[in-house]
Amino acid sequence: MTKQYKTLGDDIWKNKVEKINAELFTLTYGSIVAQLVKDYEDFTEVNKQLEKMGYNIGTRLIEDFLARSGVGRCQDFRETAEMVSKVGFKMFLNITPAVTNISADGREFSLVLDENPLAECVELPDQALVDELWYSNILCGVLRGSLEMVQMQVDAFFVTDTLRGDDMTEIRVKLIRYLEEEVPAGED
Amino acid sequence: MYIFDRHCQCIYYHDWHRGHTAKPTFDPHGDPLASHQSTGGGGSTTTTTTMTDPRQGMNMSLEEEGKLVYGVVFSLRNLVKKLGKTQDGFIAYKTSHYKLHYYETLTGLKFVINSDPNVESLQQALRQIYTQIYVELVVKNPLACATITSGQVNPETMGAEGFRNGVDRFVRSLTMFDTL
Repeated sequence: MTKQYKTLGDDIWKNKVEKINAELFTLTYGSIVAQLVKDYEDFTEVNKQLEKMGYNIGTRLIEDFLARSGVGRCQDFRETAEMVSKVGFKMFLNITPAVTNISADGREFSLVLDENPLAECVELPDQALVDELWYSNILCGVLRGSLEMVQMQVDAFFVTDTLRGDDMTEIRVKLIRYLEEEVPAGED
Repeated sequence: MYIFDRHCQCIYYHDWHRGHTAKPTFDPHGDPLASHQSTGGGGSTTTTTTMTDPRQGMNMSLEEEGKLVYGVVFSLRNLVKKLGKTQDGFIAYKTSHYKLHYYETLTGLKFVINSDPNVESLQQALRQIYTQIYVELVVKNPLACATITSGQVNPETMGAEGFRNGVDRFVRSLTMFDTL
């Protein structure tokens, strides 16, 4: 089953996606983060803002994803994890993070990114390392926003990041609950 | 045609041949069936234009009509879901006067369109409206999206002209346009 997601992801990436210059993308993102750091000067606040930006992006991105991929509803959270990593990330960033550390109850998983296009050739200043800046925190927001639009409330956060000197870049995604559909207000 | 968002609100409304057959048997007291009758009767009649607004004789505003349609669609969808196991069981329903086609995305966005009863399934058309027009012009447009998430959208003017024109062009190009 994972193979079919992989082929689907590759297929969409090859045919249906407009591509842009990766360096332009990296530089643009870098300048956004730099500007945020300059404006806020507090790295936790910057993290929060990146996450919020990601959330707004995610709510719209999921529509684009569904329109392009045309996939149906996932049966369980594991399938969601596979879909996100093999099709979603592939379609938008052309990377395929590995899904690891799936918890026993299937409500948590980790995405390990072996390459991060947002953080190519990026170095963090010392202050950022001390104060816990998660450079690619926008990705966590995107995950949260897009999954919320398909009725899953999740919590996504970075565990390790190569920019901070760790071995690998890992995002942990926890399912909090499935959201109920909204019912129109009763009318008599 | 109506589009409902995941918060049960009608965010878009567009009509083409509504009110063709202004049958004198309308119940002027807002009988809900009568409003559907007008939307569906477009198939067989002449080129009288859509100028007469049947809603005037019906005491039902667009908002109420939207709620009514949404209620019908929501209840039917739940019914079909309970009867069968698949998620997307409810595609369309047909009465003697009209056929209502329905397409829903996983994000809770619902597309509804009424047509002549003998039209084949418009689900692919609705899907195309979603992928090619809605996603491109509305989701990716930062101005259009802002109004949707704030919850205060006027169904008749949503999305500026781009979306409305896009949908209009697309629908007019369908082979079964005359029957809408």
